[in-house]
Amino acid sequence: MSVLTDHGDQTVVLSARRMAWLRFLSNPVAIIGALMVLSVLFCVAFAPWIAPYPTHAGGIVDFANRHQPPSVDHVMGTDKVGRDIFTRVIYGFRISLLLIVGVLGVAVPVGAALGLAAGYFGGRTEFLITGFTNVMLAIPPLVMALAVGNVLNPNLITAMFAIALLWWTWHARLIYRVAKSVAAEDYIEAARLAGASHWHILTKEILPNCIAVISVKSTLDAAFIILFGATLSFLGLGVRPPTPDLGSMVADGRQFLPEMWWGVLAPALGIFYATLGFNLLGDGLRDMFDVEV
Amino acid sequence: MSLLQIDNLNVAFTSYGIRTHVLKDVSLKVGEGQRVALIGETGSGKSVTSKAVLNTLPRNAKVESGSILWRGEDLTTKSDGAREALKGVEMSVVMQDPLSSFNPVFTIGRHLDDVLYWADRRKGTSRGKAGRAAHIRDVLRRVQLADPDRVMGAYPMQLSGGMRQRVLIALALMNRPKLLIADEPGTALDVTTQDEILKLLNALVAEEGLSLLMITHNLGVVRMTADDVYVMRKGEIVEHGPLERIFKTPETDYARELIEAIPPLYGPGVKDQPVAAQQDGALVKLENVDKVFVENRLLRPALRTHAVKKVDLEIGKGEIFGLAGESGSGKTTVARMVMGIMRPSSGRVIIDGKPLDEAFDGRVDRRLAQIVYQNPGTSLNPKRTVGQTLEVPLRFSDTPRGELKARTESLLDRVGLAPHYVSRYPHELSGGQKQRVAIARSLAANPRLIVLDEPTSALDVSVQKRVIALLEELREELGLTYLFISHDLSLMRNFCSRIAIMLRGEIVEQGRPAEVFANPVHPYTRALISAIPVISEAEEAAKPAVSQEEKQKFLVSSAA
Amino acid sequence: MPASFAEFLIRRLFGFIAVLLVLSLMIFVLARVVPGDPARMALGPAASQAQVEAMRDQMGLNDPLPIQYLNFLSGAVQGDFGRSLISGRPVTQEVLALLPATLELVLATLFLMLLFGVPLGVLAARNQNRWPDTVLRLVSLIGVTMPAFLAAILLQLFAAYYLTDWPILGRMERGIGAPTGPTGLLTIDGLLAGRPDVTLTALQYMLFPAIALALSGIAQIMRITRSAMIEHQRRDHVQTLRSFGVPERVVTFRYLLKLSSVAPLTIMGLEFASLIGNAFVVEMVFAWGGFASHGLESILQKDLNAVMAVVMLSGVFFVVANLVIDIIIGFIDPRLRLREGR
Repeated sequence: MSVLTDHGDQTVVLSARRMAWLRFLSNPVAIIGALMVLSVLFCVAFAPWIAPYPTHAGGIVDFANRHQPPSVDHVMGTDKVGRDIFTRVIYGFRISLLLIVGVLGVAVPVGAALGLAAGYFGGRTEFLITGFTNVMLAIPPLVMALAVGNVLNPNLITAMFAIALLWWTWHARLIYRVAKSVAAEDYIEAARLAGASHWHILTKEILPNCIAVISVKSTLDAAFIILFGATLSFLGLGVRPPTPDLGSMVADGRQFLPEMWWGVLAPALGIFYATLGFNLLGDGLRDMFDVEV
Repeated sequence: MSLLQIDNLNVAFTSYGIRTHVLKDVSLKVGEGQRVALIGETGSGKSVTSKAVLNTLPRNAKVESGSILWRGEDLTTKSDGAREALKGVEMSVVMQDPLSSFNPVFTIGRHLDDVLYWADRRKGTSRGKAGRAAHIRDVLRRVQLADPDRVMGAYPMQLSGGMRQRVLIALALMNRPKLLIADEPGTALDVTTQDEILKLLNALVAEEGLSLLMITHNLGVVRMTADDVYVMRKGEIVEHGPLERIFKTPETDYARELIEAIPPLYGPGVKDQPVAAQQDGALVKLENVDKVFVENRLLRPALRTHAVKKVDLEIGKGEIFGLAGESGSGKTTVARMVMGIMRPSSGRVIIDGKPLDEAFDGRVDRRLAQIVYQNPGTSLNPKRTVGQTLEVPLRFSDTPRGELKARTESLLDRVGLAPHYVSRYPHELSGGQKQRVAIARSLAANPRLIVLDEPTSALDVSVQKRVIALLEELREELGLTYLFISHDLSLMRNFCSRIAIMLRGEIVEQGRPAEVFANPVHPYTRALISAIPVISEAEEAAKPAVSQEEKQKFLVSSAA
Repeated sequence: MPASFAEFLIRRLFGFIAVLLVLSLMIFVLARVVPGDPARMALGPAASQAQVEAMRDQMGLNDPLPIQYLNFLSGAVQGDFGRSLISGRPVTQEVLALLPATLELVLATLFLMLLFGVPLGVLAARNQNRWPDTVLRLVSLIGVTMPAFLAAILLQLFAAYYLTDWPILGRMERGIGAPTGPTGLLTIDGLLAGRPDVTLTALQYMLFPAIALALSGIAQIMRITRSAMIEHQRRDHVQTLRSFGVPERVVTFRYLLKLSSVAPLTIMGLEFASLIGNAFVVEMVFAWGGFASHGLESILQKDLNAVMAVVMLSGVFFVVANLVIDIIIGFIDPRLRLREGR
């Protein structure tokens, strides 16, 4: 029992919310993560103004300058057709972010809806939903994504679709567990007794208790989606050239190893930076909310 | 020279830069063979005191000044290693039972063996595996466990609460310490089991010449197990004296408040609730009701739990009907059937003259009954403000939008909370305040019956009194009927107009409290009443007698 | 075995069979949704329409869908997945030949994950918020931020540049005369045949691919172990032991560890699917020659039968692994075994 709880009829010294903030702010690593994520978002929003050679994100070729090692002009060197890699990495972040938004935008609502329903209604609903979720969990996501992507035209949208198809299962599982334990609490029964509708209970009583978990998981997911998306585009599924994408840049650069090492290392650094940022932030959030994800 | 002497001890906790002064100049003495009680409510610092003595304070705690003398030597100046050596060997602690005191994946035998092994190592002796096992069996027998081998081979969850508590005591005694610190032992157990445990402690103190430091919030327990009493409040010792003096002539207001807050069982202080005149039939009537829970299993026959057996009861309008029983008695199940949210397996439930199915056409009628839960900490949604929680019943009983705010405020007012509480979250409220909100919530739907499920057992004694007073007031004002479920018979004696005692699904005795207590018929009732810790000799004498065979027949012994 | 545990296992078993069934249905549907005519693809563009029709009949493509599914299912249960559209050989044969390679790699990865993940997690938990913990958490971040393919490439690069004579492709040295049986796992076969040099060479080839695969898993296991231990450290039973002077290290390594091992095991089970997925890519980079990289190629070449076989095999892997883990957890945690009627 924490010391900072109520003493008889007095009120508490520190609210849980303040303590959560204090936890976050006293965690330097989390703050670094937050800053990193913010910088990535900044790049995404202001790419045309930040990137040194905005046109290189498109179909420009400049054979005279191909395979230049990193220099003052080209911080990360140039690729096989002479485009500035640093610019393309920044633009690559855009694709990554689009992917994140696209996948989470589908996976989170679907996963949450199914998880809530399974946890609250129980019985047959629970059985069916958890059964279905368990089946989906057995499928190697990469295989599924590739299979689906291959069947349909390989582009960003299909990649998003393919990933989201399996991603919702993790959210559903997580929220199912939280919803189930919340649904067993006294205050939910009290709400039922007060005549509250199922919709009210799901959205206003149970869901708010899941927000913490959803936030943490989504942040950590962002990191995973970047990795996963990079793997997919490394294998050929994803955006078509000349749109810059971190994974396909690695694939391209790989052909010229080891002499043109910057071709692989630069996008790798990009992947690393963005993923690290989201991971640190996610960890910080997890400590702050004190949840199990 | 006292065995243990604490002088002006100051302890503070630091969390994120914020320092909380938890123990303020605490002084305490325990002599050899003495029984001392440290009584206080939640947050008084009593547990912190015992942790300071044992050196098990959390990392963010610091002893700022003062001394803890053990046989004359100051422990605060000793190294951790030296203090480790004392644990279990010179002084031991018996903690509250709950299952959480044991690691669930190891057997009891394993726990005990390890503790013994390491204590031996520190003393420099060694008994060998067989020697240790023999000693453990011995100690388990001393705490009256009949089958030590079975206990040793069992996992914690396979034992009953009472048995686990005995094991904890055995754990404490294994190395023959001189001082036993008992931290709220048995509070998580049934009254009858707790009674057994306390008697065991007294016996051990007498047999082994131990000193006892009893930490509790229950004055009745103090009376049973202490000779010297320290009263603690918000980190300070506010009063100290021999047992008799404290109980007869308390000096401080706080001590007086504590004593007066305990509802008496017998004697002039007892309050008799008037029984409502039976106007036009009972509100709720259960006729020959049975409830069986069936759980189907794959390989084994289905598990049938006969929770309620042939129950007949009537709750008149305006009554406060008390349903008493220990855990597993079926009282919660009965309450649910009374409310109409659970169907009986057989028998009839009649609401206001009409059988259940007719009255509600299948849906739960919120206007019949609402419930106030035992644990205020979990009965309110932590993510919703007080106002939002209260609005739910109002909105769903078709209160017009415009009136919501006004109704919410009037509800708060009625339970004694100022209007600004509307925007507070549960974690910003104290236990008593949370319970008031829970009561307000139950009133919002305008029910005729309110089920009170141990509504005050999680609250401190001083707060309990106020909440009960509030409930009585509301009943007067609004003409409510209460179904009061509890195991706290002393409270029920003073608060209920009629009571029924349940044992393993059956009602064994019913009637007006005055009669039931004056002439309890059923042996179980007698055993239950005699197990209640009371605070005066007169009351103790007025308790009914119950023989050993009767006890064995009706109570589940925690020693089996 | 107590009845409650038997029931638990049987329920899990049924669940897994259901998983495999639904999986097979899903793949089947997916396969039939693929645009293009499998018969045409098998025969090539030069074949005449009549030949294609005959092929369609032979492949059973003109039967009603439910019948096709049942045929597929009955074939699958017997291990027959038809012929590869690319190579013409029976798919099952091809896949099974490559199975041991992937199996060995996966086992090595699991071994690394446990070997490093758990102790590091314990170490981090014991030193919570002190410098070893911070260092370890940073190290674990490497595992989580690096996609398996990148780790594979970088390790390969490192081996090629800084280690002389270190193999970077394939599974075994040519011409060494490695035994081909009985298990198919080169490390074990080498020992059984009395050829420790084979075993050592196999390990050498396996090192970097396994590391690449294991990085992410190690990081996750480390995290989970750490948080499980921290969570349990807070509990009362630790206080009980401490109050009686049981030394910290006993409390940590015996009591807490057993209790905290359930969480990482569960995670390992769930992550199995991702593991196999990542194996696909790592095998490709290292030209490992297991069924995973074969599966990858099949997908990219749209070799339907092969794809279905590989996916089903992955599913079986997952199911078996989880069942084994459930049994292990059942032994560790008595609460699962002994729930007398819940």
